[in-house]
Amino acid sequence: MNHFPEAWGRPRDEIYGAYNPTYLPSSLGGAHQPTTRTQSPIVTGTSVLALKFSTGVVIAADNLASYGSLARFTDVHRLKPFNKRAVVGFGGDVSDMQYLDRLLNSLDVEENYTSSTGDSKQGGEEGLVDAPLMSAKNLHTYLAKVMYKRRTDFNPLWNALLIVGLDDQSQPFLASADLLGTTFSAPSLATGFGAHLAQPILRRVVPNEAASRELSREKAVEAIKECMKVLFYRDARSMNEYSIAVVDENGVELSENEKLENQSWAFADRIKGYGTQVV
Amino acid sequence: MFIARSEYDRGINTFSPEGRLFQVEYSLEAIKLGSTAIGVATSHGVILGVEKRITSSLLETSSVEKIVEIDRHIGCAMSGLQADARSMVEHARVTSQSHEFHYNERLGVESCTQAICDLALRFGEGAEGEESIMSRPFGVALLIAGFDEQGPSLYHAEPSGTFYRYDAKAIGSGSEGAQAELQNEFHKSLSLGEAEVMVLKTLKQVMEEKLDSKNVQLASVTKEKGFRIYGDEEMAGVVGRLEGN
Amino acid sequence: MASLFHAPMPSTGPGYSFSAQPTAASAPRQHAGFYPYTDNGGSTLGISGATFTILAGDTRSTSGYNINTRHAPKLFKIGGEGPDNLNARIVLSVVGFAADGNALKERLDTVVKMYRYQHGKEISVHACAQRLSHILYGKRFFPYYVTAILGGLDEEGKGALYSYDPVGSYEREQCRAAGAASSLIMPFLDNQVNLKNQYDPMSGQGLEKVQRVPEPLPKETVEEIVRDAFTSAVERHIEVGDGLQMMVITKEGIEETFSPLKED
Repeated sequence: MNHFPEAWGRPRDEIYGAYNPTYLPSSLGGAHQPTTRTQSPIVTGTSVLALKFSTGVVIAADNLASYGSLARFTDVHRLKPFNKRAVVGFGGDVSDMQYLDRLLNSLDVEENYTSSTGDSKQGGEEGLVDAPLMSAKNLHTYLAKVMYKRRTDFNPLWNALLIVGLDDQSQPFLASADLLGTTFSAPSLATGFGAHLAQPILRRVVPNEAASRELSREKAVEAIKECMKVLFYRDARSMNEYSIAVVDENGVELSENEKLENQSWAFADRIKGYGTQVV
Repeated sequence: MFIARSEYDRGINTFSPEGRLFQVEYSLEAIKLGSTAIGVATSHGVILGVEKRITSSLLETSSVEKIVEIDRHIGCAMSGLQADARSMVEHARVTSQSHEFHYNERLGVESCTQAICDLALRFGEGAEGEESIMSRPFGVALLIAGFDEQGPSLYHAEPSGTFYRYDAKAIGSGSEGAQAELQNEFHKSLSLGEAEVMVLKTLKQVMEEKLDSKNVQLASVTKEKGFRIYGDEEMAGVVGRLEGN
Repeated sequence: MASLFHAPMPSTGPGYSFSAQPTAASAPRQHAGFYPYTDNGGSTLGISGATFTILAGDTRSTSGYNINTRHAPKLFKIGGEGPDNLNARIVLSVVGFAADGNALKERLDTVVKMYRYQHGKEISVHACAQRLSHILYGKRFFPYYVTAILGGLDEEGKGALYSYDPVGSYEREQCRAAGAASSLIMPFLDNQVNLKNQYDPMSGQGLEKVQRVPEPLPKETVEEIVRDAFTSAVERHIEVGDGLQMMVITKEGIEETFSPLKED
């Protein structure tokens, strides 16, 4: 009888051969696993768009995750609210997005744990001031450092991020960070194909900071929706169902299944010169 | 006298119930056994002087090195366990060279003293989790003399890691008497030559042997010449200026 | 899995201002990998005078033919107090790969602030210059892909300007242009600041001609030269434009101004 309980119930070695542990982690007797790094993105999300207006920011991204040219997942939500003052929009690799989402969730838990924010007002203790929430600006700095660190380690997070929300002065905030750790901020931003197709439209709406301070929420949402439509017309990796979020003083308003409205494909029959069509 | 201390004598990082670190206090005692060293700061520069304690007529006096150079503009005199001073001076020299390499400027005298005192505390773990590199505190005190953009200055560094700036300071076996003498004699308008004589005169009072140009050593730090140990002829000259020699 | 994030978009970029960008022609890599650098365009310049130093840079940030933003400052105050660098007396300008530029700025800033705690005095520009060189050289084998210019006043109160290459070799100069339009601006500076190819018209013909001798220029003249340099660069280089950031360092402190440039 075998006196090692961990071997009980296992196929007998003398008949089936020893158990092959190579797939296990080396701590369990497995072969040494190679370290893995993202060399190129696999499942990807396309553009993210965002626009600042007088009292807040609007951000949108469609719900599609592509596997190369295959429209693989049609219900992937690429806008992640961080707290009631900040939302992150993800373009690029979806698994890296999910990693960052987990990272941000644990960061949020840690923040709430250490700074005892939240509903302390209910406790009604006199003079007890709420510790300030982490602002979108703080979040952007944090994410930019994560992205830059990973690129410096030659192990990039293959994403383009837009971070939107309110800064520490409760002013509208919009900035980007990408897989190289490059950061910038502007009244309107768009990643991926959006940088080519949506940004020119958005810049007509808000050519500068002064214009964004004058822009109403309705006009901002309208402009973003118009851009999502243009992107759906032209970007082959896009989809007609998208998420849109507005962050302002009242918090985050997120809708994750908007449908494109008022599409008109009338322009399409005038397009010539692609593929096999020569004249 | 030491009976009650036995419990807290061994662990160098263990406070006694009265809030004392005995090993550190003992290290201060080690200095009181050392030969006397004196430093005097004037507005022109700093003079360092040490007694050499020639224990045998067969001893080569030039091999007794109790004043050493740290950099062109900083020097130090020591009292206590000389071997311990070697590693402090080595550390100060490296710090000074590294500073000049990184910043293309000379290390400040206070910064140099601070660097030495940082090392003096490394018998315990460092604040950033550095490993303890020594099993006991240093058994040596230093008088650090230098000239930087703030002018001449003299610092006293102890094994406890504390340091103070002085106009004039004596350390070692004769320090009590010498310090009292310095207290009486020092004034702000001292010239460098007067300081040389004052250092020797004070040493002479606390030395057991008769002072001559072989059993004392002088050095100076000035703006023009930086740190400089006096040669035999120069020593003889200064000793000659002493009354009663 | 070729995707959008992988290769340049429909058209190729305007070309990198440094030659190390790998191309299929020069060094074909084994497999499509990750290249950790990019060029964010833009240009900077610095000129030192008798009692001041001026640094300037455009505020456009680009990737390829795209404009990331029209407002991305390339000039940073170094040292001083707090995150806003109050009372700082040293300015760093960086152009090239902006993420590296920011990382470099933050490292130098903490070093300078630590220096004040450790040595109880403000760091001098020449000490800061040497330190910056070592920071750059320390990453010799994975460089900060930036051209840095450091400006301030020396111990005598004269304008001090130091220019760097990405791996830390540096020198003190009267003037220097860096970045995308450096090849357009530098010859202009050679002529206008160091009076190269300018001869005394009364000095005769041929070999008799006497070169005009450069001397430190007044602040107003330098500000004009800077403005002219950038308005001209904007016309001839697509990566330069949008805004002009200027910092004037005098013994009174740092005066920072932003003014518009063409946005086309």
